[in-house]
Amino acid sequence: MNEQEFFDLALKVIAQQASEAERAELDTLIARQPSLKAEFERLQADARLAREVLPLVNATEATAPELPAWARGQLQAKVREALGRPQASTPSAGDEERRVMWRWRWLLGLAAATAVIALIAIPLLRQAPGPVIQVAMLDTAGASRGSEAKELALLQQTWNQAVVDSFSSAENARAWETNWPADGKGAVVKVLYDRAAGELRVLGRWKGKPFARTFVVEQDFAAALDQAKAFIQEQTRR
Amino acid sequence: MSTPRLQFLQRGNTEAWDEAFRQLWPKAFMAAQSRLQAFLPGEIEDVAMETLEELVEAVHDGKPLEELKRLAATIAHHRAVSLLRERFAKKRGAGKIDSSEVVQAETGADCPDPAADSPLVALERKELGEGLSRTLSELTPPQGAILTDFFLKGLTYEEIAQKHGVAKNGVGVYLKRGLETLRRIWGRRGES
Repeated sequence: MNEQEFFDLALKVIAQQASEAERAELDTLIARQPSLKAEFERLQADARLAREVLPLVNATEATAPELPAWARGQLQAKVREALGRPQASTPSAGDEERRVMWRWRWLLGLAAATAVIALIAIPLLRQAPGPVIQVAMLDTAGASRGSEAKELALLQQTWNQAVVDSFSSAENARAWETNWPADGKGAVVKVLYDRAAGELRVLGRWKGKPFARTFVVEQDFAAALDQAKAFIQEQTRR
Repeated sequence: MSTPRLQFLQRGNTEAWDEAFRQLWPKAFMAAQSRLQAFLPGEIEDVAMETLEELVEAVHDGKPLEELKRLAATIAHHRAVSLLRERFAKKRGAGKIDSSEVVQAETGADCPDPAADSPLVALERKELGEGLSRTLSELTPPQGAILTDFFLKGLTYEEIAQKHGVAKNGVGVYLKRGLETLRRIWGRRGES
């Protein structure tokens, strides 16, 4: 029996795959050649080593079982604890390239949007400012304080933030009506409520052209104010 | 199967770690199972989980994923052995065996320390890892598969020959050379 044949026989006995006849054959061989006993014992130790090592070797190449769902959350928590807050970046080189491309696309898109906004906003900013509206009330008759206050409130309400000048003499009101800006720039509108005459006079200058109209205040002062306001808007829109 | 880049793992990238855990879990689980299935099967997943948590720290030290795969098996093996020794020491000390927790040996007698005769138990983790690395590189196919079929699955020479498409006489040669490789790699380590 050669070395390989002894090996095969010994391994069969060690693996408990040998028949009774094969076991007896091995016993006879060892009895005739005592040095084979040491070889047999070494093979027994090798078999024990293989049974220990091979499961670990196979484990390093295992692809099953799958990671349980419950384990993922616990493990990610450990990652956050050990390594800090995770980032959203993607792992592969290809994804890194796509991320850079998207960054450039975002920047180009932002530049385009900025250009569009500039094209729209600049003309708007260059538009001529709205007309300056000056409001005054002439009360030569000395009406009751109650009605005067209401009319004053309506004047202020119609033209927001306007300071309403009050005149008790026609001469002063006339001086106010004829006092126009010297440079002629911009639009100026003067609205004078003559309480005694029951008239709402509108005087204005827009793009170098004067305009004027008188609205009769009959019973509804608010309606007259609305008409005057519409007239002003019409004249300063063109 | 993509390999997560180390720098993404070190930054704590969620997707990279999901992929790493997916690849490492089977390694840790199978290594733990090889030790614990017969005695403490209920502890296998816990040991695998503890192993992966320990591997997160290893990434912090700059270890690449391929090394982590070997570490997963090594660490799980060590943790499993420690658990076995701890449990059996407690039970021997208490003078009782809890049959609901431990699968009884075939004889039905008190279980001795299942790790006592293992040639790997005495090895440090680093030695164990180095041994695994050498084994993986030096066991040429189909040596590893044939050794597994014979020693772990109990297949006969005839069955192995048919499975792997080799001559029956050749099975013994593969086994002999495979055992020689294992002895060369592990023999001195086991004796130390």
